[in-house]
Amino acid sequence: MEVLASGKGAYRTPDPDGHREWVRTHKSRELKSKVMTAREAVEKFVADGDSLGYDLNMHKRGPTALLHEIVRQKKKDLSVAVRFSGLDPAVLIAGGCVSHIDVGWFIQSGTCSRAIQEGKIRTTEWTNGAVVYRELAGAMGLPFLPLRYIGGTDTFWQSGAKLVRDPFTDKEICLVPALNLDVGLVHVYQADEYGNARVFGAGLSPMETSSCAKKLIISTEEIVSNDEIRRNPQLTTIPYYMVDAVVHIPFGCHPGSVPGLYATDGEAMTEMMIADRMGTMDQYLQKWVYAFETHEEMLDKLVGARKLIQLMQAETIKEGYHV
Amino acid sequence: MSEPITFSTTEAILVNTANLIEEDRTYWVAIGGAPMMAMMLARMTHAPRAFFVVEDGTISPEPPEYVPFLSGASGLAGYRALAWKDMNTVGFHCAMGYYDYGILDCLQVDMYGNINSTLLGGTYEKPERRFGGAGGANEIASMCWRTVFMADQEKRKYPERVEFITSPGYLDGSPRAREKAGLPANTGPYRVVSDMAVFGFDEETHRMKLLQIGPWTSVEELFAGMGFEPLVADPLEKLPVPTEQQLSILRAEIDPGGRVLGQGRWIEYQPRD
Repeated sequence: MEVLASGKGAYRTPDPDGHREWVRTHKSRELKSKVMTAREAVEKFVADGDSLGYDLNMHKRGPTALLHEIVRQKKKDLSVAVRFSGLDPAVLIAGGCVSHIDVGWFIQSGTCSRAIQEGKIRTTEWTNGAVVYRELAGAMGLPFLPLRYIGGTDTFWQSGAKLVRDPFTDKEICLVPALNLDVGLVHVYQADEYGNARVFGAGLSPMETSSCAKKLIISTEEIVSNDEIRRNPQLTTIPYYMVDAVVHIPFGCHPGSVPGLYATDGEAMTEMMIADRMGTMDQYLQKWVYAFETHEEMLDKLVGARKLIQLMQAETIKEGYHV
Repeated sequence: MSEPITFSTTEAILVNTANLIEEDRTYWVAIGGAPMMAMMLARMTHAPRAFFVVEDGTISPEPPEYVPFLSGASGLAGYRALAWKDMNTVGFHCAMGYYDYGILDCLQVDMYGNINSTLLGGTYEKPERRFGGAGGANEIASMCWRTVFMADQEKRKYPERVEFITSPGYLDGSPRAREKAGLPANTGPYRVVSDMAVFGFDEETHRMKLLQIGPWTSVEELFAGMGFEPLVADPLEKLPVPTEQQLSILRAEIDPGGRVLGQGRWIEYQPRD
């Protein structure tokens, strides 16, 4: 296949056979309980230098509690696949956890922009779609996939994509390399103790992120029985054998929303946005993350049961969420 | 003499965009910004059957009000959708040609319809100002049959050439430039909409071309808000003035808090009887 042009962005060379070998030796086939605390899961499955990706964002059904735990444990040198993000990359960057990001898109964020402008973190350019498509390639066990976008742009030149001549049609087509994350995080509605998990609503990439990851931590709003999972197999998004840890964290996306369950905590979210804009994320993290041992303790002492009930009541639309 | 009509530049760009939206066409709309508001306005006025998807996989929702991306990521945005899928699925449907139009707002658009949402000044490694990057705009601008860009009429938003092509227009304007880069055939920028005008693109040169201008402004004032001089259609048509109905729906139903509509400056237009 003739390569016509190559982007110069940094990326890890895909290794489908290496990933298969990892799956063979590290992924348990046993139906055993994987329930553990966020602290245990992050200690065990997130290492300095890992590549990290997660479904959705801190504002909507993202794994906020797990991201906060990563910050709390001061993980370092992560390469984060940032697509369709909210202020989640800002939180990770402010926590000193990040050395590189794959840019699908980050929301207008003082923390992110400053870190890049000051050369504190390196970037490789992609698009939102290209990042989840690279995860799809990884989830299919392939080294790359062709796509009909990204070509012709400076985004292409700063990415790891290639323009090739398609051997079947003789026309130009772009390819992107597979992304097999070291760590995937997905926040789900329901899971059993083995990790069979249900995601409702529009999701960004729950299946791709779960399937492509070497190590997968899911946090769940609710633990259900294995019988409950088997009663409605159509609802299962993630099968247990991909899952390394199941962390039970109600309000696990707070201050964000889990549609159908609870609304965004506007006050807490505004505080985060102001901290990002004013460059005071350190104080924000001190107040919301470092001051507590766990997400549950933060909810208990800083948010309070009354507020949490109000957030549940404010989420008036339930249709379609099976909750 | 008729009463003068008062509207903001933000309302003008929303109305100008909504007026382009057609019944029974499919739109991939940028999530939670001006394009979404324009879509809601069109669906509440002349085009209730305009169909739209957003990049998180929500297919044809009927949100009861405008939902900002950051603060309103609740069940509202996906309410009464036809289907809840994921980002790759929407990308596949677009790649196959199911989506007629994309609507995007942009930081900068140049004479060939290329858009920049990545950086200003400096180098890629060390930009003077860094923005969020391509997001879903690259997919939309590459694969929808026709793309509509929204950009306020300000000189900094209309440079002759963008310094970083984040998402593709007609690239260098040369024939088949998009196809040679692997993009689907017969796609590309269709309209650029501002608060003052609607632009298209010349079929031969792919250069931006002024098609319609608001009767509340002049060509001189318009060109002062551009970093290059576009081609001009002959005859140059007038844009319709925002109607009372459009303005009241925007103000009372789509953005009752005035969070978005209050931005920009006010225009007072005196219609001639």
